[in-house]
Amino acid sequence: MTQNNRERLRQAQADAAKQQRLNRIIGVGAAILVVVLIAVFIGVLVQNQSHQAASNSSAVTPPNATSDGKAIAISPGVAKQGAPLVELFFDYQCPYCKLLETTYGSSFTSLAASGDIELHYRTMSFLDASLGNDASVRAGIAATCADEVGKYSVFHNEIYAEQPETEGQGYTDDALRDSIPAKVGITGDDLTTFQSCYDKQATKTFVTTMGDLGVQDLQAVTKQVSTPTVFVNGKNLSLNDLGDPSGLLDLIKQNA
Amino acid sequence: MTLGARLVLGVVLMVAGLLKVTRLDASIQSVRLYQILPWDVTAAVGSALPIIEIAVGLLLVTGTFVRVSAVVGSLLMLAFIIGISSVWARGINIDCGCFSPGAEVDASQTQYPLEILRDTGLLLCGAWAAWRPRSPFAVDNWLFAPVTEPAEDPDPTIADDKEPAR
Repeated sequence: MTQNNRERLRQAQADAAKQQRLNRIIGVGAAILVVVLIAVFIGVLVQNQSHQAASNSSAVTPPNATSDGKAIAISPGVAKQGAPLVELFFDYQCPYCKLLETTYGSSFTSLAASGDIELHYRTMSFLDASLGNDASVRAGIAATCADEVGKYSVFHNEIYAEQPETEGQGYTDDALRDSIPAKVGITGDDLTTFQSCYDKQATKTFVTTMGDLGVQDLQAVTKQVSTPTVFVNGKNLSLNDLGDPSGLLDLIKQNA
Repeated sequence: MTLGARLVLGVVLMVAGLLKVTRLDASIQSVRLYQILPWDVTAAVGSALPIIEIAVGLLLVTGTFVRVSAVVGSLLMLAFIIGISSVWARGINIDCGCFSPGAEVDASQTQYPLEILRDTGLLLCGAWAAWRPRSPFAVDNWLFAPVTEPAEDPDPTIADDKEPAR
């Protein structure tokens, strides 16, 4: 009888130990799961909050922004009746965008100034993700802040002129905030307006949204995101067809 | 062997996660560039991914729930491999995102096989750790310590609270 009792007691102890082991495993597992879930939740929350904060803090939409927020219009309001809409997708850190800009940039802008085309500049900032910096967004902010003082186009060109030799090196704040404005002749009150806009990143929401909308449209039409890309009336223009800049208007008209 | 596999995959995941966690915007952007997931889903995935990477990395390094975390880590690697292959197959140049005429394509395209090779290596680490989850210096050794036969020991709770011998 005592033998039997001891056996039963031992069994009960063993069961209790097993139960304890199980509780320990479940307890630690559940704790880890809860901590990870909370961390993910906080991460998503912080992400949303920072978006909200950005859109609340004196957000500025540049004067030449199109009403849909997708682009900056170059020489708005002068396009002739039925002039084709040309959209230029570019990223300030992309070397081939610089190439397109130096070869064809002035042809595009003069066609816009003469009203032969309606020209929209669509700034992308997706290279920031690939290159691991934030220079595309900052360059975009600087350019749109320059629009505040009526210097968008020249500023845009000067950014490309200052593009670092090595892709990924990025633009410095010094270049965007001080030396480029000086080169394009932003001075006095205009300089104060510009620098305050840049320092507050006032156009950041506009720039990042413009980039997001650009990615969406590029994916929809070309099935990929790559810059530079040119749309004529919403259709992709093959850049391989680009020849001498003097033939640009004819090429656009053929593809309109 | 498992210890090595655990540490390699764990440290890589932690570093990858930590690099991204302070820049969730960029993390979301890079998920978008793969153009696999729907637009709205990318925001959630892009924000959650770095945190999950850090968590799984920590679990692997400390050796906690090694089998489960190694399986999750391997699935992450598998997802990355599929993502990179898909981008490669579609001819998207993700690192530059730039239109590259002719010869210039090569330089960036050669990165894809390397990245796939790297992730395959990490996947193998994960698979090994999942197959043979037992290793020294692991929290699991305490967590899953076998129940000591309470032969003469009258009070099993005391025995359980002791740190196990390594």
